[in-house]
Amino acid sequence: MPTRAPVIVMELPERLNHVEAKSFLNELEPLLQNDRPSVVLDCSQIKHMDSAGVEMLLYCLEQAMKRDGDLKLAAVSPASAVIMELMRIDRLFEVFETAEDAVRSFQLVAPPTTLQTQPWYATPQGLTDLKAAG
Amino acid sequence: MFVGLGAVVAIGGKNQESSQDSSELPEGGDESFLDVPLECVEIAGRSMLERMLERLVAIGVERVSILVEAKNSARIPPFRTSYSNVAVRVVRDLYPAMTQELAHFSQDEISHAFVSSANTYVEADLLDLFCFHREARRDVTSTFDKEGSLDLWVVDCARAQRGDLETFLHDASQDGAPKYFIRDYVNRLVDPRDLRRFATDILSRTCETGPSGQQMRPGVWMDDKAEVHRRARIVAPAYIGYASKVKADALVTRLSNIERDCCVDSGTVIEDSSILANTTVGICLDLCHAVASGNKLRNLERDVTVEIVDPNVMRFSSPSSKAANSNGRSAVDEVVLRKTQMPETWQLNNLIQE
Repeated sequence: MPTRAPVIVMELPERLNHVEAKSFLNELEPLLQNDRPSVVLDCSQIKHMDSAGVEMLLYCLEQAMKRDGDLKLAAVSPASAVIMELMRIDRLFEVFETAEDAVRSFQLVAPPTTLQTQPWYATPQGLTDLKAAG
Repeated sequence: MFVGLGAVVAIGGKNQESSQDSSELPEGGDESFLDVPLECVEIAGRSMLERMLERLVAIGVERVSILVEAKNSARIPPFRTSYSNVAVRVVRDLYPAMTQELAHFSQDEISHAFVSSANTYVEADLLDLFCFHREARRDVTSTFDKEGSLDLWVVDCARAQRGDLETFLHDASQDGAPKYFIRDYVNRLVDPRDLRRFATDILSRTCETGPSGQQMRPGVWMDDKAEVHRRARIVAPAYIGYASKVKADALVTRLSNIERDCCVDSGTVIEDSSILANTTVGICLDLCHAVASGNKLRNLERDVTVEIVDPNVMRFSSPSSKAANSNGRSAVDEVVLRKTQMPETWQLNNLIQE
């Protein structure tokens, strides 16, 4: 039975410059090596961010996606949201008002998927639809 | 009988609505965003001050005195038209200077004058207002619109100089005094949101005053020396200012205005925004619902001001040599941003590494 790693919530530091970003990444990177990592970064404390901070966020997202996981942001301040919009990175992340909301979003059960071995028109429903369409 | 008509326009005064609680500056208001009085900021080629001057001159006002506080003296915008009957005076205190100016008018047989704050833009029939004042036979006539009192009066020059002008004008706004109701377009320029509204009203032709420059195709105005790359897209209505450049694959859309000496770099989207004079916006950015000036960005949707230190993202650009003319002093190129502490100010260093 497939299992999912627990959701990891981490609070970003007040200043996300080169030094802080590197230090933060050192803590986070091992967790990103898990299978399907689920990470929430709480941005509520951020007051200052530079290029290293933005790059770190993009790097973490890339690492998470490589392992079929995701990285979500929570409590993004209006100022940081403006910066993210300006830099066009806002659309890359799912953003939530609180870390709890972000965690909950990981826990939502996805609808069961079945492997499709036959073309859609071979199923009884597909044939019905085809007849109805004339 | 000869009736002289003058005008005194004050720069730097707040309008009546805001002056009552002027100690409470709204967070991230115009003071924190721009160091220039908003009425001196060019929108679609001309400042609100110049547009008001145009209206005064058009009705035959003989003399216009623009009074500017010393702290704002270097920020009078360059006027596009040269006016022989417009004088700019740098003063320490506005009200005593206004009183003095009215005294000069009176000596020169100018019997009535419009007194206004430059941040109140009114498209009323000023001659009708003057006739209303004369028929009322009062010392002063105040004006108001559906939102309340306006910083525009007509005064009898001889009588207005007798006492304290501030009290004189204030008393005129009280009940009982004749008031002139203005149904036409009004903009009280209090914060950057009003600046943006003024831009959209000009571009959408909600108000009478229009953009400068030539209309290259319906709804797209371009000023002299403006350059738009053939792969850039300008969606009407829009304004591209003097000597501004819009580079390849850039998109300017939804009532956006790019003022003079600006540069919108490749791939950048300017949507529902005003880029004020001498601003360079970097490559592949999304600037939406904002007013940008130099390295400062006021997002109107989120009501927050962001300061960007990285010159690759946003910066002041140098003005072209012909930007200023003889009548006014160049405003924006002399702006030095204050180091103010703002609660929501961000600094973004070296955001793009090339």
